Amino acid sequence: MKRIESKLNTASAAFQANAAHNRKLAEEFKEKQRAVRHDRPQRDIDRLRQQNKLLVRERIKLLLDPGTPFLEFSSLAANEAYDGEVPGAACVTGIGIVSGREVVINAGDASVKGGAWYPLTVKKTVRALDIAIENRLPVVHLCDSAGGFLPLQADLFADKYMAGRIFRNQCMLSKMGIQQVSVVLGHCTAGGAYVPGLSDYNVIVRGTGAIFLAGPPLVKAATGEEVSVDDLGGCDMHTSVSGTADYPASSEEEAIAIARDIVAQFKRPQKAHTEWQPPEEPHYDPSELYGVLPQDIKQGFDMHEIIARIVDGSRFHEYQPNYGKTLICGYAHIWGYKVGILANNGVLFNDSSLKGAHFIELCNQGRTPIVFLQNITGFMVGKEYERRGITKDGAKMIMAVSNSEVPKFTVMCHGSFGAGNYGMSGRAFDSRFTFSWPQSQISVMGAEQAANTLADVKIRQLARTGKKLSQEEIDAIRDPVLGEFKRKQSAYWSTSEIWDDGILDPVDTRNALGISLSAALNTPIGDPRYGVFRM
Amino acid sequence: MHHAFKLGDAEHNLELSRSASAYRLHLGEQVVDVDLKTGADGRAWLTLGERHIEVVIATRGDDVFVHLDGEAYQLRYQHPLDRLAAQAGGSAEDHIRAPMPGSIVSVSVKAGDAVAKGQTLLVMESMKMETTIAAPRDGTVAAVTYEKGQTFDRDALLLSLEPMEKKS
Amino acid sequence: MTTAQPDVSKWPFQSVLVANRGEIAVRVLRTVQKLGLKGIVVYHAADRGTAAVKMADQAIEITGPTPVASYLDGAQIIAAAQASGAGAIHPGYGFLSENKGFCAAVEAAGIRFIGPTPEQIDLMGDKVRARNFVEKAGFPVAPSAIEDDDPKTFVERSRKVGAPLLIKPSAGGGGKGMRIVRDLTLLEQEIERGRSEGQRYFGDGRLYCERYIENPRHIEVQVLGDGQGSVVHVFERECSVQRRFQKIVEETPSPALDAALREKICETAAGIARSLNYRNAGTVEFIFGQGGEFYFLEMNTRLQVEHPVTEEITGIDLVLQQLRVAAGEKLGYGQADVKSSGHSIEFRIYAEDAARGYTPTTGPILVLHPPQGEGVRWDSGVLQGGEVTSAFDPMIAKLIIRGSDRNDAIARADKALRETVLLGCKTNTAFLRRLLQHPAFVAGDVHTGFLDANPQIAAEPEMPAETLQALLGAAALSTRPMRDVADAVPDMHAAMGGWRN
Repeated sequence: MKRIESKLNTASAAFQANAAHNRKLAEEFKEKQRAVRHDRPQRDIDRLRQQNKLLVRERIKLLLDPGTPFLEFSSLAANEAYDGEVPGAACVTGIGIVSGREVVINAGDASVKGGAWYPLTVKKTVRALDIAIENRLPVVHLCDSAGGFLPLQADLFADKYMAGRIFRNQCMLSKMGIQQVSVVLGHCTAGGAYVPGLSDYNVIVRGTGAIFLAGPPLVKAATGEEVSVDDLGGCDMHTSVSGTADYPASSEEEAIAIARDIVAQFKRPQKAHTEWQPPEEPHYDPSELYGVLPQDIKQGFDMHEIIARIVDGSRFHEYQPNYGKTLICGYAHIWGYKVGILANNGVLFNDSSLKGAHFIELCNQGRTPIVFLQNITGFMVGKEYERRGITKDGAKMIMAVSNSEVPKFTVMCHGSFGAGNYGMSGRAFDSRFTFSWPQSQISVMGAEQAANTLADVKIRQLARTGKKLSQEEIDAIRDPVLGEFKRKQSAYWSTSEIWDDGILDPVDTRNALGISLSAALNTPIGDPRYGVFRM
Repeated sequence: MHHAFKLGDAEHNLELSRSASAYRLHLGEQVVDVDLKTGADGRAWLTLGERHIEVVIATRGDDVFVHLDGEAYQLRYQHPLDRLAAQAGGSAEDHIRAPMPGSIVSVSVKAGDAVAKGQTLLVMESMKMETTIAAPRDGTVAAVTYEKGQTFDRDALLLSLEPMEKKS
Repeated sequence: MTTAQPDVSKWPFQSVLVANRGEIAVRVLRTVQKLGLKGIVVYHAADRGTAAVKMADQAIEITGPTPVASYLDGAQIIAAAQASGAGAIHPGYGFLSENKGFCAAVEAAGIRFIGPTPEQIDLMGDKVRARNFVEKAGFPVAPSAIEDDDPKTFVERSRKVGAPLLIKPSAGGGGKGMRIVRDLTLLEQEIERGRSEGQRYFGDGRLYCERYIENPRHIEVQVLGDGQGSVVHVFERECSVQRRFQKIVEETPSPALDAALREKICETAAGIARSLNYRNAGTVEFIFGQGGEFYFLEMNTRLQVEHPVTEEITGIDLVLQQLRVAAGEKLGYGQADVKSSGHSIEFRIYAEDAARGYTPTTGPILVLHPPQGEGVRWDSGVLQGGEVTSAFDPMIAKLIIRGSDRNDAIARADKALRETVLLGCKTNTAFLRRLLQHPAFVAGDVHTGFLDANPQIAAEPEMPAETLQALLGAAALSTRPMRDVADAVPDMHAAMGGWRN
């Protein structure tokens, strides 16, 4: 496997300008994360301190093995929703190492609205448990939630992927033999009570932890019974009377130490066998990624330069280097794990689609996980391409992607437009993990085209009634659409809506993929089997 | 910082993690690369950041004995579960332990007695010296472990007080 | 002086039972076995597996209500000696070494007692009678009051001795029950306390008191007598570095003496021994004032703990001399034949915590690497794998250093103490290093209250951050639960470290 030879001139003005631009974007991203993680009203912090509670990130730090990585999911979830008042969607999820085991952590953030569940809280939690199911990862739940946010109950309660799905997923995990620990650090009320209720092991903190279907006020309203929190669902009641919880703890620190000891009892999974070799740092400095990415979404760049700054030793075995060149296909290693890479180097034509479908089949035959690096404006349109069957060739690629048995990983590197998003394993195609870079964009088409299309429709409607629009009137229709489109195609919107598993600073991509690959191999890789490829 | 060692009277929190080639010692926010290679003769080389230090190490139970730079030290490991449970179980003042091995000369109190801070609880003898063990606080005697004439080792529980009522 | 190997075939005994334990049992056995005699020890079960038991040609278990009691059970030990056919008993130091009754019983059983006559033990064992004897013989003693002389006037006579004064139990030794009185209004109270302690430790509440010399030095003189008219001194030892009236460091020659004073004090000691027609190795102890005055303190009619320093500078095997004399040999040499060269210092390695008021420590001896090298002697009764218990005295070894002069000996001692590895039980080696590095010790300017006046030597020095780091690193890497947590982390995650996205 030979090293990619970079053609980048890192001394060039263009490189320097790109680097400065993208570094700034990365810094803005980091600043947003910092604010989401740490900026809280002082009264909320004070309230938690008075209750002898730790903040969620302090809890996670105690839970994780020291000096080990934590891959946090969707750190900016809900950032564009609820007027920005529910940072991180009031929960923290991710993959971390606890007692040497890879686990999913699902932690409520009681410093945000008392840890109340908003619709996006539920979505983020369900996604974390989906990750646990797909990758067979044990789960540690750090429970501290006020319960569902009632004003939005209609958006979080009843539908298939709403709150019930959390408990359904817990049951699926249990059926699959994947263990769960709940550490009850606050109240688990109503639905929240089922999180420990459906876990294998429960630790509860004396004084602050409580589990009940209805809290004392609701009990009083329902039956007139007056009962204290401790008597109703406290630590000693549940560990000595009801058996709903297993281990009493006198402090959060002790509870988390017990949880660590519980996880230490878990059997370690047999990893799926794939090719692996000792890891090697990329030859080219990953921080040069900032200089590779252009400042304009419409501007192209050579995806080889991206690959060279993510993979081991910058080494890459390119498949069909001279055929369908707008889609780069080939093998590399990331953190030692052999992967197949599909990376866009232009619009998808018939040949590049066929090449992609073929390569995905090769990866499945060889049990090689696939990494999709998206920068795609879509499949080629036009009479000639339709006559050549661009639709059915694109369909072949989508068929191969959808039925792929090897784990897939998607990175939104730049643009992700139209059906290209599908062909390159967009969110709907069950990549095990999907990450976005800060400047990346997703939409059904480019913002300008979309705005123009919408304006045209309006103009033609009005034209039928004999009305003619002035340029000002056209702009008045077009500009809000353009603005709305731009907002909703940004990575920050995607990540707020949890269309991905989080934005990544590009330099973090290699580690994020490493952790994802390792996690994904907990699930055996099945034999490849596809539907009907339209020939 | 779940783990701790007691060195003398001080408790030091720390964590150990593995690096690509060896280990890292976490002390608060400080992280130091460490490694330990033991030779056939039982002597060992400790790597600490850039330094290489010859040490001799022996362990028994939770005790780690280290000979370092001409001096011998004893550190006692505090398992996180024990340590955290003990923190919750009451203050150290509830349990009066022997400061040194010795024998009981006299016992002045019995279980159930109310005692005032500074009041003589018992007199022990060690190394030709009598030492008076006084109440560390006001309280009630929960249990007295030894009778006159009995001998004990260092850190033996001599006497315990009823735990303090928690102030809410 | 080197004495020729005696012809033991003519001796009345061919086997020696050591009625002791620990390092001194080993020390005695070494000479006994070197002579080709059979070495026998008695031991309590608590000492099974110690060096002496392993080294002896025969080891006989003795029992008692406590381990110490078994070594004090003369009848049982004599029975063991008879059963094993031992021709002589060496009592070592402590235990029965200065017990007149035991000495007499041994001799009565037809076994040689390697020591003085019962009468000599008796006389010197009673501080009051010993003092009177020495005073009458014309040697200097400190002003004092003896309760037995007239118990009714004891308090009054004590008051006349003047403050500061020292109250001691008449039957005592080794510092037990001693009390200093600086304020005479407390005199009666302190007398009562001393009496109570004397009663408890020795079963004898009689007291005497004597002038307390401020900042005195403790200088003692080794003597050898054959009981057949020959007595020599084997120079002095200075044992001023003490804690709780117990010696920690002993050396010879004393840095406090010039040649004239040395001759004077050594001759005084020899004179006292001569006036007793002393048989055996013995030690005459003096209290030595800062002005050069000295008074007889007591005479120990046995081998001293610190005898090796004398051996190191003179080449005389004192145990051999004890055996020869006990076998009926004459000394065979005179004072002029006893010569010394160089300097020797002994450090008592105690299982104790200097910083906690020298309180004894206990524990297993997990690792023991005695120091080695030129001029280094390690007299010890403990072995790696053994255990230090509270059953016996906390002294576990003696490090004896010989150097060409005092500075050379100090330098060698520092290196040897540094290289002494004993793990499992806290010892005073680090304290000893701090002590020998102290300017006053280097200058030889110490007195028996030196350590009390300089408590910072005993205090645990503040630990440099780097040392603490090294200790925690070594401990963490040696602790399974910590190492297991670290080792359980998969390679890749370990290599990533604390990465966050």
